[in-house]
Amino acid sequence: MGIKVDKSVVRPIACGGTGGDPVVVDSAEGKLVRIRPLRWDMNYTQEELAGTLWEFESRGKTLKCPVKAMPPYYAFAYKKKTYSKDRVKYPLKRVDWEPGGDPAKINAHNRGKSGYKRISWDEAIDILESEIRRCLEAYGPAGLLGIGYDGHKESKGIHYGSGAQDQIMRLIAGSYVREVRTPDSVEGFYWGGKHVWGTGAWDGLGMPENYANTMKDVSDHTEFLVLQAGDLETTQNYSSQFQSYMMKFWLDLGIDMVTIDPFGSYTCMIHDEISWVPIIPNTDAAFDFALIYVWLTEDLYDKEYVDTHTIHFDKMVDYVMGKTDGIPKTPEWAAEITGVPEWTIKAVARKWGTSRTSMGHFCGAHIRGPYSHEPGRTEYYKLAMQGIGKPGVHMIHLFSWTVAEPIVPSLGGFLSFMFMGHADSNDGPGPMSIPRTAIHHAIMDGEYEWWGSPSIINSKPEDQFVKRTYPNENSGGNEFHFIWSEKASNQASWNGGFYLQEAYRNPKVECFVSNHQWMQCDTIFADLILPITTCLEEQDCYGCSQGGSLHMYGIQDKACDVVGESKSDYEVAAELAKRFGKYEEYTKGLTVEQEIESSYLSSLIQNMISFEDLKEKQYFPTPFNPDWQNIPPAMAEFARDPEKNPLQTPSGKIQFWSPELAEHFPDDKEREPMAKWNIGGSKEDGYTHDESLWGEKAKTYPLVLNTSPGRWRVHVQNDDICWLREIPTCKTIIDGYAYEPVWICPEEAAKRGIADGDLVKVFNNEGVVLGAARVSERVLPNSVKMDKGAHPDPIGPRIDRGGCTNLISPPDPIAKHCEGFVVTGYLVEVAKVTEAEWEQWKKDYPEHFERTEKYDVASGSSIDGWVEGGLE
Amino acid sequence: MKTFLIDLKKCVGCYACQIGCKDEHCGNCWKPYAEEQPETGQFWMKVNEYERGHRPHVKVAYIPTPCQHCAEAPCMDAAKDGAVYRRADGLVIIDPAKAKGQKAIVNACPYGVVYWNDVLDIPQKCTGCAHLIDEGDTITVPRCFDNCVHGAITWGDEEELDLEGAERLCPEYGTAPRVWYKNLPKKFIAGRVHDPVAKEVVIGATVTATGEAGTFTATTNWIGDFWLRNLPDADWTVTIEKDGKKVAIETSTKIEDKGLGEIALA
Repeated sequence: MGIKVDKSVVRPIACGGTGGDPVVVDSAEGKLVRIRPLRWDMNYTQEELAGTLWEFESRGKTLKCPVKAMPPYYAFAYKKKTYSKDRVKYPLKRVDWEPGGDPAKINAHNRGKSGYKRISWDEAIDILESEIRRCLEAYGPAGLLGIGYDGHKESKGIHYGSGAQDQIMRLIAGSYVREVRTPDSVEGFYWGGKHVWGTGAWDGLGMPENYANTMKDVSDHTEFLVLQAGDLETTQNYSSQFQSYMMKFWLDLGIDMVTIDPFGSYTCMIHDEISWVPIIPNTDAAFDFALIYVWLTEDLYDKEYVDTHTIHFDKMVDYVMGKTDGIPKTPEWAAEITGVPEWTIKAVARKWGTSRTSMGHFCGAHIRGPYSHEPGRTEYYKLAMQGIGKPGVHMIHLFSWTVAEPIVPSLGGFLSFMFMGHADSNDGPGPMSIPRTAIHHAIMDGEYEWWGSPSIINSKPEDQFVKRTYPNENSGGNEFHFIWSEKASNQASWNGGFYLQEAYRNPKVECFVSNHQWMQCDTIFADLILPITTCLEEQDCYGCSQGGSLHMYGIQDKACDVVGESKSDYEVAAELAKRFGKYEEYTKGLTVEQEIESSYLSSLIQNMISFEDLKEKQYFPTPFNPDWQNIPPAMAEFARDPEKNPLQTPSGKIQFWSPELAEHFPDDKEREPMAKWNIGGSKEDGYTHDESLWGEKAKTYPLVLNTSPGRWRVHVQNDDICWLREIPTCKTIIDGYAYEPVWICPEEAAKRGIADGDLVKVFNNEGVVLGAARVSERVLPNSVKMDKGAHPDPIGPRIDRGGCTNLISPPDPIAKHCEGFVVTGYLVEVAKVTEAEWEQWKKDYPEHFERTEKYDVASGSSIDGWVEGGLE
Repeated sequence: MKTFLIDLKKCVGCYACQIGCKDEHCGNCWKPYAEEQPETGQFWMKVNEYERGHRPHVKVAYIPTPCQHCAEAPCMDAAKDGAVYRRADGLVIIDPAKAKGQKAIVNACPYGVVYWNDVLDIPQKCTGCAHLIDEGDTITVPRCFDNCVHGAITWGDEEELDLEGAERLCPEYGTAPRVWYKNLPKKFIAGRVHDPVAKEVVIGATVTATGEAGTFTATTNWIGDFWLRNLPDADWTVTIEKDGKKVAIETSTKIEDKGLGEIALA
């Protein structure tokens, strides 16, 4: 046979950026051949792995750590991603943009529309250098915005983009405006839950602070598992498929399960044993209050625990029983709101109230909608009433899923990040930080104010009581005019995407540079595009720590040759450093190889394996703590003795009503000191959102859009992998274009004359996104389901063919005092696209149709559509 | 004889088998076993997916379907010049050189797992990754099997596999496949039962489906759900009874699974 594999590189390919179960990348003569799951025993004997491959017994059954790693399935398709048709191989400059800040030569209005031409690396770095110098001189450090943090969402160490960008910007400018990631995965917990039970995991996420041994404890004790918050078969894939393995064990043990979700989730659909309770999107708080009503009236909660572990329970009781507003929150009341029959609500309440119950949490839609702080809080109310921390009673979160606690200390699951060498991520708020959710407002209004640290972690509840402004007091009143992004997904992953597109087209933005591997999302709005290597093309050190079967440290050689003229973010920053005389300082005088060794020497495994052995074996799965089964599970210590093991709330206890919120925001009717059923209202009446079925807006837009991460993507990553796009629930091809599915129930489809496979538009005041109708029983009336994260493909202003839902999500935050995103649970209408409409678009926006003619249907957007004369 | 055993109870519908097949064969030419698989459009391992039932009793079936490597393979009969041959280990292979122009090989397959390559003018299908089995330099098993981290796909010598209770896909084709399945989906009837007066779910009601195909029973669970599973394709009278209350529903599983939705037991 012609192909002989000459190199096999072990590494994680996880588009969550956090490692993930590793793969083996086979290549021949510098070209990728195959990507397959690693067997942990590939380079270690069974004896060597004896203290690493955990196993435990529960209810008479044994669960063993799988010997074969369980990588996310898109990792197996990463060859296609590496050699994707929209891969940026050379530096590109937008054809109608010139550096220098001359408004006449920027043509800002053509961003997202005009094409590109290939330039040399010399010219590209010249432009980058000169634009930074020019903007620094004109506007000072406040004139520069760095968009980063995510390293293109690839799992990297030395070459981690955000760290490279941040370090060189600090070296050049001293300070700059840093866009900081908001608590996007956990909005409802962050803005709501933290006021109930404190700072939470990783100093800020608002989820349980402790989560060791959760899986063992659930296996031993849990009788009922409620999946009210997301779809593990979808969400786990940012790192691993291990949770499917765990779920099967729990089903084998006979744990009853229910999915309470607007969508017939992939998890629920594959297991006969899981019951489904369909619920109208973003009505979970009402559902929860009705459960609590049943528990209160039928004595189905842990009174002793509530007495000893919580404060202000009585205030919630008064609200639920209707003493404060005259409305008892009965199952009958909730049935009207949620679409769940009252007998079903009672049945769930009784099952929950009479069983040791845990909640499986997978960053679901219910804590990412308008006013997500309410379901974020009611979730904790429920757990508190059932004695969270007692045996079998937990909130099981994605990040908590380490089965056997490793002997190497894990810092909030970020074990592998300690091994990142060069790239430290500056995600904490700096002197001029701005939240990611505020970029469009900052550009369009020239000013913005918000409460709270913009940071996703290392942020305490009291940070939310601090008011911040843009431009910042350190900025000399200057706005930013230069954007350098190593993270192309803002318009597709965050809210108000169409508004952000408009902001990018604002002439205030004089220069927009994008480091990226692929021609997608924000990159097609940039003026200068720098081609970046994928993780497979880099020599690096990285591990995996979250969501998988084991933790691992690793050292990786390049798995294949560099594609085109790509450089890593580290190398780009190094080139720039040379121009500013900062090269030695930036590289610390080390080569990449030396830096890897230096990372090893500062790691926690240096006494466990030699550097030479690690290099040879490529990976080191960390042994478990021999005593792991005796570590108290999750919140057990708090449950056992709350006085000695207090939470990080001012009272040390679970607070049903927050004295701090009452003190700082006494007039806030959107986030009161205690969660309430809150449907918002008009702007005139002082509300941020009117996105419920019971307001004015619903008269025009009567469907609640339910979005969640797509199963065949990780947020916006991998929407261009043709092998994934062939999967029926990924795309539907209509007339030579692959559209995003719009899941609609037969009843709502019939009302609109929509048939399965029709080209439809999903729209509201923000604009129009197109998709292909998928008529399905997995969706319920009054709602429509569309996965978020499809790559935008602009037809014209506020018209998107790619089906990117976040373009039409509300630009405004969760609530006045909660600077997070709303990316689901908002109102839309759906209609068939008419022939007249289509013809009009073709007439008005010919450049879109000319560009898409050059696309590859199988892969979507391709470089050929964007670069004059192609690349080769 | 090399045999696949696919247990659908273990499958989570992740498509890693389908993707792994493409990763192995797209852009990689493994002659003389196979030419490259086109980038898209062919599925030498195809996951067939379909939605079953009605809200809220909905499930999705995933059936990974490779070439069935039939012991009595119609494609071999349709091929000329020995273009399709069976190896000693049972794998059925299309010789890409000899099969040029032979579209009849595609049409002969009742399972629809042979694809036509217009550009190369050849029929193509699963080879069982014979190139890996014979000469694999890093793995020596079929890629779909290696990629299945859930253990739904197993592969090996027939006598080593636990085939008890396994079935073949569409046995009526009579081609004696060497791909076996466990837990192939059979029809279900499901419903959620409540008492409209008490406004409570009904737990422990006896549900009986009767028809010419037999009698099947189930009991409603904590949420009032019943699931009558593994039903033959037939017409049914479903009766639901508890405490003297009874309701009867006529339905059929001849075409599809049935989710009967909310049922009032009055």
